[in-house]
Amino acid sequence: MDKLEDITRLGERIANDDQLAYRQFFIQFYNKLSRFVMGFTKSKELTDEIVSDVFINVWRRRKNIEEIKNLKLYLYVSAKNITFNYLKKLHRENLADLDSVEIEPEDPFADPGAVLITREMNLRLKAAINDLPPRCKLIFTLIKEDGLTYKQTAQLLNISESTVENQLSIALKKIGGAIRYSFRHN
Amino acid sequence: MSLVIMDQRSPSQNQFWSLLSKKFYNEASPEELQELQLILLNNPELHHQADMLTEMWQQEPKSNIIGSETAYVRHIMKHKDEFFAEGNPEEISVTEFEEKPSFFTRRKLALFSFVAFIMVVTGAFYLFTQKTKTGSVADESISSVVTKNGNRTKIILPDGSQVWLNAGSNLDYNNSDFNKQLREVTLNGEAYFDVTKNPDKPFIIHTKKMDIKVIGTAFNVRSYGDEKIAEASLIRGSIEITLKDRKDQKIILKPNEKISIANEEPEQILLKTGQKVAVKNNSKPIPQIVVTDIKPNPVNNIIAEIAWTQNKLYFEDESLEDIGPMIERWFGKEVIIEKESLRKVRYTGNFENETMEKVLSYLKLSKQFNFRFENDTIVIY
Repeated sequence: MDKLEDITRLGERIANDDQLAYRQFFIQFYNKLSRFVMGFTKSKELTDEIVSDVFINVWRRRKNIEEIKNLKLYLYVSAKNITFNYLKKLHRENLADLDSVEIEPEDPFADPGAVLITREMNLRLKAAINDLPPRCKLIFTLIKEDGLTYKQTAQLLNISESTVENQLSIALKKIGGAIRYSFRHN
Repeated sequence: MSLVIMDQRSPSQNQFWSLLSKKFYNEASPEELQELQLILLNNPELHHQADMLTEMWQQEPKSNIIGSETAYVRHIMKHKDEFFAEGNPEEISVTEFEEKPSFFTRRKLALFSFVAFIMVVTGAFYLFTQKTKTGSVADESISSVVTKNGNRTKIILPDGSQVWLNAGSNLDYNNSDFNKQLREVTLNGEAYFDVTKNPDKPFIIHTKKMDIKVIGTAFNVRSYGDEKIAEASLIRGSIEITLKDRKDQKIILKPNEKISIANEEPEQILLKTGQKVAVKNNSKPIPQIVVTDIKPNPVNNIIAEIAWTQNKLYFEDESLEDIGPMIERWFGKEVIIEKESLRKVRYTGNFENETMEKVLSYLKLSKQFNFRFENDTIVIY
């Protein structure tokens, strides 16, 4: 969905003042960035403000956009920096912490009817994802839903790649554990 | 419950989850994939979990396009000067104040607007004094912004609120009263409002069918005298609507909702057919009101209600008789449909920076008709 070449092409078009490309770019990342930022701020208004800042910076700096090697990672890093700056200004530095982040992941199955999965199973999965420790849930969401690579996730969160890898397998193990129970039970 | 819980801390179990995550991530080597297969073979109970997780991993995340679309409009409106500054001169053209009388020289549209305004007490007084056109008693205190057909303009009100006025519309406010206790404006036509927050001084928009009270918000109001439906669409914040003929009822709109009110009045119907007024309009009809969600078109993502603020002439499954007035306002030329059977033909279209001729040519491609230019009039036949 967000292949690097597509994003790069969008970036080139934005550099040429193409507002339609900018719009597409915004739509593509708005929800993901909002979820990421919201995890730290826990405030809808503040999140709106921050995400709007992130995107307006892209527009203001569009002439230099092609110098950015990885636009997607740039967006997340920029969102993180702006978020942490805001939190500092509001004296809420305590929120700028990976272990107090509260991410709200998507439903594991957006359309449970489309696959053979019961409602109960869907809820079970959802609950298991929600019960993941904060940092683990953040990493799981960034990789599974936002499509970041291990490397990007590691760079974004200032942790090592092996930590990312580790956290992801912990997430799968916990989620798998939740459905194993139900399997045996039935 | 007598469940056999397997020891998940065993090395092969941990290895299993690590390998599975590598597989999902397309990072597993052939050896690792083989190892994964082996673990699955030895632990058949893991199959179910592996299948389910694989299925889950492959789900495309559901994207909330509606949310992102309205967020995009909010974003653009927040930084509008940076986006409208280049290439869209029409949209940010300097506010043009015009002599009011030109309002009356506009063909039948003006007539209907006049009829529409008689229903509004304040509007009636103002227009009446204008019509007599002698004394300028009320004139000095009233600011009136009028856009001709073919023009759209942006206004900044004394309180900093911004209004984008669509073509063929007018917005009046009292200079000496505005921002004292209330912020009151009267609108005929269509406008997108971005109102600055001030809970102490409610912002009220009077239209023919409804009064809209605002605290601080962005929304679109459409109340053309010659259209069947009056609408208010809310993008963010909240607005409170009072209907002119049901003052005791208030309707609160939530973001991404719009209210539509049928404009059909006996007076108008009679005028349209050229008969005399004053026959059977004792029984005032109760307007039909619907509150619906604002939804972008699933194919092109355009929100019809506010497309015009993005300089798009847009209509979705509308009949030619309704598109006619939109084209008139957009391009400032009169449209006449000669052939009756064409009136009900429906079109969907999205045009940006196109000439009128181009627009009509495109429409013509989808369902055949002819058109010709006669001075400032286009005849469709």
